[in-house]
Amino acid sequence: MRLYSSEELLDRELCDIMAQEKHRLGLVSLDAPLISNLSVLSNIALIKQYHGRLSVREAEDIAKVRLKKLHLEDIAMKRNPVLLEVQRFCVMVLRAVMVEDAMVVIDRPFKIMPDLDDTRFIRDVLTSVDDLFQECHIFDYLWNEERYAGGMIHGA
Amino acid sequence: MTTAIEQIGRSGMHAVRSFWDTLTFAFRILARMFDVRAYNSAVRMVLINQIYFTSVQILPLFLAVAVGFGAIVIGIIGQYLIHLGLFGYFGQLLMGFVVTEFAPFITVLLIALRSSSAVNAEIAVMKVNKELNTLHVFRIDVINYLFLPRILSGILSIVLLSWLFSIVVLVSGLIFSALLFDMSMNDYVTALLASAKFSDLIVMLIKCATMGFFIVMIPIRYGLRATDELTSIPVSVLHGMVNVFIAIMIIEVVSLIVVSLIEKFI
Repeated sequence: MRLYSSEELLDRELCDIMAQEKHRLGLVSLDAPLISNLSVLSNIALIKQYHGRLSVREAEDIAKVRLKKLHLEDIAMKRNPVLLEVQRFCVMVLRAVMVEDAMVVIDRPFKIMPDLDDTRFIRDVLTSVDDLFQECHIFDYLWNEERYAGGMIHGA
Repeated sequence: MTTAIEQIGRSGMHAVRSFWDTLTFAFRILARMFDVRAYNSAVRMVLINQIYFTSVQILPLFLAVAVGFGAIVIGIIGQYLIHLGLFGYFGQLLMGFVVTEFAPFITVLLIALRSSSAVNAEIAVMKVNKELNTLHVFRIDVINYLFLPRILSGILSIVLLSWLFSIVVLVSGLIFSALLFDMSMNDYVTALLASAKFSDLIVMLIKCATMGFFIVMIPIRYGLRATDELTSIPVSVLHGMVNVFIAIMIIEVVSLIVVSLIEKFI
């Protein structure tokens, strides 16, 4: 977890880590939204289709298993605009962990889910998929420190 | 006076630079088109979807337009030729005008009105929504994943739909020439075959492929010019579509010059 006192500082650090780790970066951010003309399933499968050179069916099978992990099978065919904020966050995390040896970077999670009071939900989501990524970094503002009071999982 | 000349010069420079940028972008896309590494299941999936949106969804409207326009054009051409006593040139006019000029032009107009504007708006919306940034972050090449399938679909659609348009018009021509001019099927087919030139068909094929390439590539370029503001979307579509029609006119003129040069020297 990395907390910054200003937006400028946070953006600079985020850009640095994105440049350094671009080959295994799994970004969860409003600046990297889901592709709106693809379903949730296709958004998640796209990474393996493109980089893993898997067929549509193979990549979508992997995506289905991962959606099931978070009990989100029922939103597989939905598209970004109709998702709830928490569903959108989960899908972004699942997409991020599709990257090989993923380093998940969560950029201002409370901007993605403004109604969240603390990090319990984020922690639960990351715990459910902790076998699918190598490390996770959360970037946020210093004034959100209280919301992280419950602590985060190892590596986050 | 000096200001006016400067303004003309600036506009001229801008037009030349824009034309050069379009050509450079076209060459980048062309180079990628022949790179087998650019194709994977994600790209193939987009290509199939695009062919469906561009070529299949339009079919009912397209066939209706082909039958309607075909009947009208063949009726008018036939009547004029009879009036002038030149009905012997009926086959030549059908092949030379309807198949090689009229069919590609109507096809390209329909596809440009329907798909070019959609592609332009889609790319502009993706830019505004930062979805292009998503592709960049996940190291998905936008040329391979977004542009190439759309452009390939444009080329395939224009080529195949032009042929379909020609076939529908010629078949409706067969029916209408029998009804209006008492022309037998044998006479009609003989007239067409006698007028068919292989070089015309090759030129038509190249013209259709070129038009298909540019009527999708230009909207993509203008879609990419959208800024972060929603209001930039209609502006980018407007500029894109104007330039698509300019490109269609340029390709039409160039193809006519090429055909006349071929006829002159071969």
